[in-house]
Amino acid sequence: MDLNLGANQPIVELENVRVDYPGGVQAIDKVNLEIFEKDLIGLIGPNGAGKSTLLGVILGLIKPNHGSVRLFGEALKPKNLRLIGYVPQKAQLIDTSFPATVDETVLLGRVPGAGLFHRLNKEDHLRAEEAMKILGIDGLKERRIGQLSGGQFQRVFIAKAIVDKPKLLILDEPTTGVDSLSKSEFYHTLSHLNRDLGITILLSSHDIGIVTKLANKIACINRTLYFCGPTSEFETSSALSKLYDYPAGLMTHDHP
Amino acid sequence: MTTLNELMLLLQAGFVQRAFIIGLIVAVLSSILSVFIVLKRVSLIGDGLSHTAFGGLALGYYLDIVPLWVAAVVVVLGSLGITRAIRSTRISSDAAVAVFLQLGLSSGIVLISLARGFGISIESLLFGSILLVNLDQIIIASVILVGVLGVIFLFYKELVYTTFSETQARASGVQTWFFDYLVAILAGVVVIAAIPIVGVLLISALLVLPALTSIQIGKSFKQTIIMSPIFGIASAFLGLFVSLIFDIASGATIVLMAMAIFVAVLGAKRVSAR
Ligand SMILES: Nc1ncnc2c1ncn2[C@@H]1O[C@H](COP(=O)(O)OP(=O)(O)O)[C@@H](O)[C@H]1O
Ligand SMILES: [Mg+2]
Repeated sequence: MDLNLGANQPIVELENVRVDYPGGVQAIDKVNLEIFEKDLIGLIGPNGAGKSTLLGVILGLIKPNHGSVRLFGEALKPKNLRLIGYVPQKAQLIDTSFPATVDETVLLGRVPGAGLFHRLNKEDHLRAEEAMKILGIDGLKERRIGQLSGGQFQRVFIAKAIVDKPKLLILDEPTTGVDSLSKSEFYHTLSHLNRDLGITILLSSHDIGIVTKLANKIACINRTLYFCGPTSEFETSSALSKLYDYPAGLMTHDHP
Repeated sequence: MTTLNELMLLLQAGFVQRAFIIGLIVAVLSSILSVFIVLKRVSLIGDGLSHTAFGGLALGYYLDIVPLWVAAVVVVLGSLGITRAIRSTRISSDAAVAVFLQLGLSSGIVLISLARGFGISIESLLFGSILLVNLDQIIIASVILVGVLGVIFLFYKELVYTTFSETQARASGVQTWFFDYLVAILAGVVVIAAIPIVGVLLISALLVLPALTSIQIGKSFKQTIIMSPIFGIASAFLGLFVSLIFDIASGATIVLMAMAIFVAVLGAKRVSAR
């Protein structure tokens, strides 16, 4: 797809974004963020820092009370959202009693791109097959999604998110509740998607140690972005120590 | 109780055959939609809409203009209102549906008592009269069947995705608001078509039970949506048979049969899981 982007034009631009929830919670404020093609950005911050809110704004799920969002050089609209793959936070993925198989689930990722009134065809099935192979779940095709382990379940939703060859992949706390072996395998898969398939990745996490190893850029959020730049700069900046001004328990535990 | 001979004679009667045909149509309509309704977790929508329809029918009789059409308009408006309330994050969706249900039921009863003697029994509205169905009703129901199935076929993949996860579908550019309203409007249409046949109280059960049963044993979404009408039709036919044999209320027997099939399937699943 021709995006008419200059080499240095960001694919996501947030300008001065603020989100207030009903009840007076100001979730994020004064957020400016640019994401460039091929970036692998780790969005880190404690629980309740506004990570999911920020991702929701990029995905058009949450309308900011102030500020603007641009995707691929244009105002946010459904056509541009089709170029983004999204894996929600685990708890929000889906009800596991939903009677869908692994391949039915992955195929859903092809629905928006196929367009209204078009049936999914052979090509769509081939792409689903491919995505399942990349994630190593092609042996589970016929399983009902309720009968998968946590790690397998996660992979199904990543396969669904990449099946339409997105420009940008957004993952919200993808490793929460995943055991450490699956975790390292999982990060390996992400860097493969980023390096070999050229997919830009934005993932949120409160697992700083691993994210700094994986990501080439880091964005730190706690209501507002107080650092955004290359990982090397992050490691020497004061952002890390600011981060630890928050109660350590919030940062090191995987559970809220 | 009816003897076998009498039953055979009954089955040859036109009104009984019409009952089976209309039972088949209503079963297919409601059980396919029920898959979307149950999985979207808006099972109460059938309740809300059927009671809204009750209010609409009463209004139609009261105004003395084609009651079914008045009810149809009221139900479509009701389905828009209910969906709007469900989609709103400020009101909990079961409360929203409950409000519509109570509004429809109480205004219907008030209207009926205001116009005492306009010759409809509340009972026939509540429980329907499947054995009194005429050819015109069968034709209308067939048209509705073709229309509803056509719309579902046309938007099948978007409906499935929106049902699977409204958030994920919306985040990838699907206009989920449209499909939420669409399901509610289709449910409204089915409710209107079904009320003269199985009544207000029973259509809401038929919009839930077949899917509940097929979700238990469907190995995939495809299987689930294929099995749901099979359970629906089985409930309608078995229910009709039993009601003819014992000479009991047909609509209610159909619903009890759907319930019995659900329990039997649950039991069979338990046993085979051991
Ligand atoms: N739907 C909501 N309504 C009201 N407040 C919310 C809602 N969602 C999140 N919040 C609040 O907004 C803040 C940011 O939440 P969130 O973006 O989920 O943070 P994170 O993903 O970093 O844990 C928190 O204080 C949270 O309680
Ligand atoms: Mg979150």
